[in-house]
Amino acid sequence: MISIPLRDKLSATLLEVKKLQVNFETVDRKIEVLKDISIRIERGEVVGVVGESGSGKSTLAQAIIGVLDVPPAKISEGTIKFEGKDIFPKSDKNNNFRGKGINMIFQEPLTSLNPVYSVHDQMEEAINIGDPALKKKDKEEIIRKTLSEVMIRDVEGILNVYPHQLSGGMRQRVSIAMVLIQKPNLLILDEPTTGLDLIVQRKIIGLVLSLKQAISSSILLITHDLAVAANMCNRIYVMYAGRVVESGSMSDILNNPQHPYTTMLKNSVPEGYMDEGPLKVSAGAPPDLRDLPTGCAFHTRCPFVMDRCKKDIPILKQVKGGREVACWLYE
Amino acid sequence: MNEPLLEVENLTIQFRVKMKLLQSGQSTDKWKRVLNSISISINEGETFGIVGETGSGKTTLARALVGIYKPKNCTIKIYGKKIDFRKRDDLLLLRKKIGIVFQDPVGSLNPRLTVSDIISEGLPTDKKLSNEERECKIKEAAKYVELPESKLESYPPELSGGEKQRVSLARTIIGGKKILILDEPTSSLDVSIQAQILNLLIRLKKELSVSYIFITHDLNVIKYMCDRVAVLYYGEILEQNTAFELFEHPKHPYSEDLIGANFSLSGTNLSTTEHESGEPSKEGCVYKNSCPKRFVACDEDPPILNLGKGQVKCWLYDEKYKSASTKKNTI
Repeated sequence: MISIPLRDKLSATLLEVKKLQVNFETVDRKIEVLKDISIRIERGEVVGVVGESGSGKSTLAQAIIGVLDVPPAKISEGTIKFEGKDIFPKSDKNNNFRGKGINMIFQEPLTSLNPVYSVHDQMEEAINIGDPALKKKDKEEIIRKTLSEVMIRDVEGILNVYPHQLSGGMRQRVSIAMVLIQKPNLLILDEPTTGLDLIVQRKIIGLVLSLKQAISSSILLITHDLAVAANMCNRIYVMYAGRVVESGSMSDILNNPQHPYTTMLKNSVPEGYMDEGPLKVSAGAPPDLRDLPTGCAFHTRCPFVMDRCKKDIPILKQVKGGREVACWLYE
Repeated sequence: MNEPLLEVENLTIQFRVKMKLLQSGQSTDKWKRVLNSISISINEGETFGIVGETGSGKTTLARALVGIYKPKNCTIKIYGKKIDFRKRDDLLLLRKKIGIVFQDPVGSLNPRLTVSDIISEGLPTDKKLSNEERECKIKEAAKYVELPESKLESYPPELSGGEKQRVSLARTIIGGKKILILDEPTSSLDVSIQAQILNLLIRLKKELSVSYIFITHDLNVIKYMCDRVAVLYYGEILEQNTAFELFEHPKHPYSEDLIGANFSLSGTNLSTTEHESGEPSKEGCVYKNSCPKRFVACDEDPPILNLGKGQVKCWLYDEKYKSASTKKNTI
């Protein structure tokens, strides 16, 4: 409760990405993976980035936290500001935003956890990075407390176990616990529940949301699943072929999608029984980033395609209700 | 009612797990039961769904039905004819009538064959066809699955995920099979492509008058696609009912948990009290350790009870315990 006035003094915007452009460059070609991306996350918000494979959503998360593989990836334009400080281009060498500032939970915990570290050592590593000066006894206490916070019942039993011995849900809990130690202001979740069973997925998402309340952080959720986003996010950005095509509050976008791609994405999720007729999707697949169509990247699948869509790329523009749409239909 | 197309009774499959004891140097065999006396029947023109989490035995069931595993002591009847897996003729008959589309389109298509060669693999071998007839049939099958003719001379690695799954499907329908087993046909695809494949499957079912056994973990898809659904949990069918009854009035506590955990666009109640989940039980009811409604009787294996159109394997619906269950006599 005491922390609220302090937070009010800071600006409301936690993360601001402006006109971000990421290319993958090889000897003979350049692939534009992210184009002109501007996103903003306020304090306490849960923001979703939704898109299909190849839309660039994971690249965006990696660019923000600074783990892009350079080369081939290269941020050629744009700025990323976190808590008012530049993190790209980096102005201050000592600005260590990772850990307590931004932290990330990856899709597959088996690859993000170190296979030769036991759960205990893994957790200790996370503490050492944050507070190396802590006493051994305090560290042990923090480890046990955090593991029980992520609903692991048998804390003592899990301490000396290695990641491969755990189930998928347990592994994801351990990686959440490691992040929790740092109490980050911004938590990036990259497909946190893909590959987990339904009941486990539901529990992990419930856990993340309750922890978010407890440590009062913001969340950036990267997902392909509109249904998961619908139940977690305040606002979402819909991405297609490396561009944001629509953004707005979650309920607005669900109730009244404006970009034809968002409409299609929403219609792709079957909601009722068979007698409700075929799903309304158009033919075609998400385009190959190496060989994008001219103009709007969605024009090959769009039911409302006009001549202009084939020539000019639509720009993200403000429409009513604080929403943004990149579509010539709304010119 | 007509005679069921496919009837399976008492299907049990166990795998031998070889364990080598380091200390004694002896090797011992252990049997792991993957499917435990499964009984299902599929009617003509029906889509029968099998839903379950990881490790529930969905894929094993699919493989047993096409004779990849050859279980003993079970009755499999197709058009009323009993299949004996030891007889070659019976096995051929089974495979002539039942086709399977595997989950992983990359692993199930030979990368060294062209698409038209792969599709022709599905043609019956007992009839000699001239080259023209063959080509004609391949083109017809490709047309059914909406695969452009230009792709027929490509190799699988050149195709997108959706196209690979279409090739798989074309190979299965070309031989005039009556039952198609679809083992997670859309789990590796993007949502918009998944929707296209689901639409295609619904159309094919009408045009070719086939029946489907649809195996998936995705409840939205099962609800949309299936007439009747069986809920599988660690090798046992806990509930079997029409899709509408199952989703509107789930009977078994596991079905309730599963359906409650499903995310839908219209919103999911995330605040419901969570109960702890445990390992599947080896004695008594398999869901005993996770069941919120567990009571005294659950230490014994529950009987399969008929309820209206469906079946449920739970003591709660047994006459003996009906009063006990309403009193919430939990341990």
